[in-house]
Amino acid sequence: MIAVLGLVVGVVVGLVLRPVVPSGVEPYLPIAVVAALDAVFGGLRAMLDGIFDDKVFVVSFLSNVVVAALIVFLGDKLGVGAQLSTGVVVVLGIRIFSNAAAIRRHVFRA
Amino acid sequence: MSDEQTLREPDERPEPGTAAEGTGGDETGGQRAEGAASGNGPDSAVQESQEPAADGGAAAERAAEDRVANGRRRLLNGLWPPRLSRAQLIVAVLLFVLGLGLAIQVRTTSDNGALRGARQEDLVRILTELDNRSQRLQDEKRGLESQRSQLETSSNQAAEALKQTQQKEAQLGILAGTVKAEGAGITLTITDRHGGVQADSLLDTLQELRAAGAEAIQIDDVRVVADTYFTQGADGVLIDGHKLSQPYVFKVIGNPQDLEPALNIPGGVVQTLEKEQATADVVRSQKIVVDALRPSKQPDYARSSQ
Repeated sequence: MIAVLGLVVGVVVGLVLRPVVPSGVEPYLPIAVVAALDAVFGGLRAMLDGIFDDKVFVVSFLSNVVVAALIVFLGDKLGVGAQLSTGVVVVLGIRIFSNAAAIRRHVFRA
Repeated sequence: MSDEQTLREPDERPEPGTAAEGTGGDETGGQRAEGAASGNGPDSAVQESQEPAADGGAAAERAAEDRVANGRRRLLNGLWPPRLSRAQLIVAVLLFVLGLGLAIQVRTTSDNGALRGARQEDLVRILTELDNRSQRLQDEKRGLESQRSQLETSSNQAAEALKQTQQKEAQLGILAGTVKAEGAGITLTITDRHGGVQADSLLDTLQELRAAGAEAIQIDDVRVVADTYFTQGADGVLIDGHKLSQPYVFKVIGNPQDLEPALNIPGGVVQTLEKEQATADVVRSQKIVVDALRPSKQPDYARSSQ
């Protein structure tokens, strides 16, 4: 419950306070958000499976974000930033979908 | 599983009770597992050993069902009542960060279009496109400006065209006989006392004058135009239906130095007329007035194709 509250508060704060993101980080924000979403879905699935561990969640969350941003950063440096970020989004999207399918099986038994 | 059932059934037919138990056990994995556990005769045990895979699948199914139920319960437990645990706090912090990033990204994307979050190469591409677009617009502007200047100068052109058209109309009017004409030329007077001059001689004379560059011709009071014709009447020559009276007077506008020799050449019009017992008199003049007119006639069928 507190976790859901944290999400809601984060959205509200982001919308209300309009924090300014440094321009150097800006290109990596969308990828980082998608990676974090993947980690969150994975965590939710783990919780439903009964194997949730907060330490694993923290590590996977942070590493997901960092690795995704790193890949895009590297892609930018190599001149294939657009393609690589597309690839990252595709991979994370597939993972999110499979996690969402597992969650769906738990919640709806279907 | 039903396929296995149909395959197996003939072998077990001799013992109906067992077969019935087997079919009953096939309906749900849970029921048959219970039957096996209760040790319901050796036959049923044999049957269990015959399909260990199906039994394992059933067990897994049951375990999954349990896990599903547990998962839901865990989810509800996590959601309500709120508990302040370390895990919840950490997840809350991370989700807070996620929500923040989500909100920022959504706002950024919807705020100022594609430019803010765009990467360098995208910006370069956009810049190039804008350059091309401005180049195209510049070209278009240049074309429109030249068009405008053409239009501005074309008012003079229109006046010029009008002037030329008026000049042309005057020229055509002279040709068509709808306007008076004056200028240098000759006067040809044919006196035919014996009536030997026929229409064809007059036509020859006219053609000779035309060939010599006559621009406007009047015979007596009749203006000569493209469709002028001569006819031989009972008591003389008719031109365009009008009786010609003696002497025949041709007023011809054209270059006198061309016209007079054209008539006077040996074997020419004058000599031919003299053979017919007629006299032809050619007088040059600097001012010949052709004042006989023709009504301007609108063609019934022909239309200008311009």
